[in-house]
Amino acid sequence: MTFLEKFTLIFTNAKYLDSMLTGLRMTLAISIGAAVLGLILGTIVALVGLAKAKTPLMKIPKLICAVYVTVVRGTPMALQLFIMAFVVFAIRGFPLVVTAIIAFGINSGAYVSENIRGGILSVDIGQTEAGRSLGLSSAATMWYIVIPQAIKNVIPSIGNELIALIKETSIVSMIGMYDLTAAAKNVGSGQNLANYLAPMSVAALFYLVIVYLLTFIIKIIEGRLRQSDRR
Amino acid sequence: MIDVKHLSKSFGNHLVLDDISEHIFPGEKVVVIGPSGSGKSTFLRCLNLLETPTAGTITFENTVITDPKVKIDKVRQQMGMVFQHFNLFPNMTIRKNITLAPVRTGLMKQAEADEVAASLLKRVDLSDKAEAYPNQLSGGQKQRIAIVRALAMRPKVMLFDEPTSALDPEMVGEVLDVMKELAQEGMTMVVVTHEMGFAREVGSRVLFMDGGHILEQNTPKEFFDHPQNPRTQLFLSKVL
Repeated sequence: MTFLEKFTLIFTNAKYLDSMLTGLRMTLAISIGAAVLGLILGTIVALVGLAKAKTPLMKIPKLICAVYVTVVRGTPMALQLFIMAFVVFAIRGFPLVVTAIIAFGINSGAYVSENIRGGILSVDIGQTEAGRSLGLSSAATMWYIVIPQAIKNVIPSIGNELIALIKETSIVSMIGMYDLTAAAKNVGSGQNLANYLAPMSVAALFYLVIVYLLTFIIKIIEGRLRQSDRR
Repeated sequence: MIDVKHLSKSFGNHLVLDDISEHIFPGEKVVVIGPSGSGKSTFLRCLNLLETPTAGTITFENTVITDPKVKIDKVRQQMGMVFQHFNLFPNMTIRKNITLAPVRTGLMKQAEADEVAASLLKRVDLSDKAEAYPNQLSGGQKQRIAIVRALAMRPKVMLFDEPTSALDPEMVGEVLDVMKELAQEGMTMVVVTHEMGFAREVGSRVLFMDGGHILEQNTPKEFFDHPQNPRTQLFLSKVL
């Protein structure tokens, strides 16, 4: 069999295709779950980090957020995943997919928070002053004036973060999960196709298509948000 | 209307305002002039607490606004401010720029705010720009919108921070015209500016600031024709 024949076989053989699609679904489930969790967590952490501590008590959440970002960004993703799987959620019957979503979501949140923080700081201080001078509260000024403009600034870097996240989920096989990468390895093993190049290529193609679609969606969102920039 | 007592402000070790006491009466058009770095913008920005004074008290209509317990948002709703760089919200249409604050502070419903915006836009001859975005406007148009945006809150006093300094020379006139009109209607105004013509024509009182002090103040006529302080004389000899 040539490479092309094996490549096509993966799509025509029900068992192989099913195997790959099962892996793909897992990759998507972890990615989407972690992306949502990461965005929510990242936004909260960014806002807490930027809030002015008026009382000593308010410094505590700020400190927690700072430690969180430092620790998460300063340690390997695989290690964080292991700690989640083998320590924190080492509970019999606890679904691994939830463990993975939490691990990747927490990791992603740290990076997202830095992106959002940068995005908010990039909005001209004059915008805040204008909002406050009109009598809007600092929360209303943030919500209606600063954040919409910050989102426009952070969409590209958030997009990068999501792309990195999707690809990074490929390490979940290290805790025995069956994702797209694990599926490729399984399909290519001796009991199955006995060839790794073809299933790895199929998996690569799947990743590429997902990332390409995501890039496309981000471009559309960016375009819509930039409408107000037109002259 | 606004009473300032022993106001001081420093940024780090740099003292920008040094023990200023001043009173702004209803209906007055106070024009603040002075060289760059004299503290005139900081003085203005202290009036609505965009800058937090280091020392001293500011009282607006019997409310000591420098008291940390005062709800400053409520106070600012009655004090309009216009900035050198317009600070329009680029992500909103002009109509939304004007109606955001009245609606979100609960002063008006959206429909009422839209009507107010329409009549204010008509007044500054920019009715056709209601659905445009700030980037589509010239500097002069932006600043007229910024004035109107502040007016939509129906403020009792308007603060202007060098409103024409960032404009191309040919657009200064249209902005000053709107301000003159506002002055004629009896609005209380505090204007930091380099436009001596405006100070002379519209001002009811001119304050000259340098080094964090108000060195001299007088009616425009007396101030420009017979400046007393040597520093004022030097300044005026350079700008007039």
